[in-house]
Amino acid sequence: MNPGTSSTNPWLQWQKAAMDETLAAVGRMSHWPLLLEKARHVRKGVTPSETVYEEDRLKLRHFISDGEPRFRTPLVFIYALVNRPYILDLKQGRSVVAHFVEQGFDTYLVDWGVPLNADRHLTLDDYINGYMVNVLDFLRQRSGTDKVNILGYCMGGTMSAMFTALHPDCVQNLILLAAPIDFSSQDGLLNLWTRPEYFDVDRFVDAFGNAPAQFLQSIFLLLRPVGNLIEKPINFYEHMHEDKFLDDFLTTESWLNDNIPVPGEVYRQFVKFLYQQNLLTQNRMPVGKRIVNLKNITCPVLNIMASQDDLVPCSQGTPFTDLVGSTDRRTILLQGSGHIGLAIGGRAQREVWPQACEWLAQRTS
Amino acid sequence: MSEDSQRTAEQAAAFQKIWVDSVTKTMQTLFTFNPEAVPPEIARQIRRGILEALAKSWDEFMRSPQFLEGMKQWMDQAVTFRKMSNDFVATARSEMQATSRDDIDTVMLTVRHMEKRILDRVDELATQVADLSNRVGHSPGNRQAAPANPARKRRRTPRQRQGAH
Repeated sequence: MNPGTSSTNPWLQWQKAAMDETLAAVGRMSHWPLLLEKARHVRKGVTPSETVYEEDRLKLRHFISDGEPRFRTPLVFIYALVNRPYILDLKQGRSVVAHFVEQGFDTYLVDWGVPLNADRHLTLDDYINGYMVNVLDFLRQRSGTDKVNILGYCMGGTMSAMFTALHPDCVQNLILLAAPIDFSSQDGLLNLWTRPEYFDVDRFVDAFGNAPAQFLQSIFLLLRPVGNLIEKPINFYEHMHEDKFLDDFLTTESWLNDNIPVPGEVYRQFVKFLYQQNLLTQNRMPVGKRIVNLKNITCPVLNIMASQDDLVPCSQGTPFTDLVGSTDRRTILLQGSGHIGLAIGGRAQREVWPQACEWLAQRTS
Repeated sequence: MSEDSQRTAEQAAAFQKIWVDSVTKTMQTLFTFNPEAVPPEIARQIRRGILEALAKSWDEFMRSPQFLEGMKQWMDQAVTFRKMSNDFVATARSEMQATSRDDIDTVMLTVRHMEKRILDRVDELATQVADLSNRVGHSPGNRQAAPANPARKRRRTPRQRQGAH
């Protein structure tokens, strides 16, 4: 056979490719024992921290930097009540927290803890006018400043916006990261699935108490069934022999599968007042005895979103800057990234967070 | 045909449609590739095309009224089952004269109601103290003497900790 002919014969090429793929598959399978060992030792959080304040299940973590902070005004991360907050400090080179610590910000993170059945009566009022007020009072006392910088992620961003509107005198700058504000959009599947004619949140909370972690995880998986249940396993199978890929995959998956329940009353309020009635954009959102008026937010605001976010589509976050009373407002939209990629993605680390640090540094004493 | 069986037929038709769409789009994807292309690359392209077609079909399906109706029925059943199991456990506990979830809920709500009343009263007192402080010449900016915002709640005594973990 002429060698020149064999190299262009598609059938021979297919055979060679099939043989190569079989050998590669054997090589990949030999990594299984190592994989299980690695999965057992996934590290959660990389930046050294200490707990400086506790209340009920809440813990306030202070991140320790090598030198003295450049800025006196503290920065506090407010995370969502779903999932764990270590996604913001996942690993070396993929930590939002590390960016701010390295830039000299005195950085803190609110870890809400895991709610028990007894916590099912906690409301947004308890979190916003209770825990958050106490945390900010503590930080102001500790730092000797009148105001604090806030960065809220996802549901934590919505809560941070409500807090800033109710207590504008406490907040120096507000950064929202993939925070849903306008729930009138029908772009996201969650908005459709929670419509009152299809989801009776009262019956659900009355029966279950807290919204179960497994339920929430199933819903998140269903947002991208092909991506989560087919593409991801194939991608994993193809790259499981690469150490860097494996490390990224295991840390991310550990976090994704580390769901926690949401207190029942908070879940009820979030679904009913926001997803079903969209009260926040109408300045009619009740939190305890008070009504949230977003026009009360007058501090500088930075709104960061991802164009491919399935959980919080851009249409839910974009209107925020138009609804606040601030004159200093900016939006950063990361193209081609999703909800989690905004925190841990390589492009977000290179493009978004240095900009966010600079924006905050220019507005912080 | 009864309403239930009609609804079931509609859901089955919607589910059938998603599979027909998926297969059609997949076949369309398969026929767009150049057979002369290098094998692993063409295989990846085919796979990408199939997955994109599937993702699009599923997204359409999950927005369809049939899927939403099916999801509602599933949720209703899950809630009903949960209520039945709650009732069963409550009855069993009651028979054994043990504390049930309803008992704990009642105590919790009573405590929360009392807490709310006390905090409201504390807020009112704080406002009055602030007014009095202002009248006798204390600085209104002094938060320890006069809280600026009475709506804030000091819920419980916070614990402060030291020590790295």
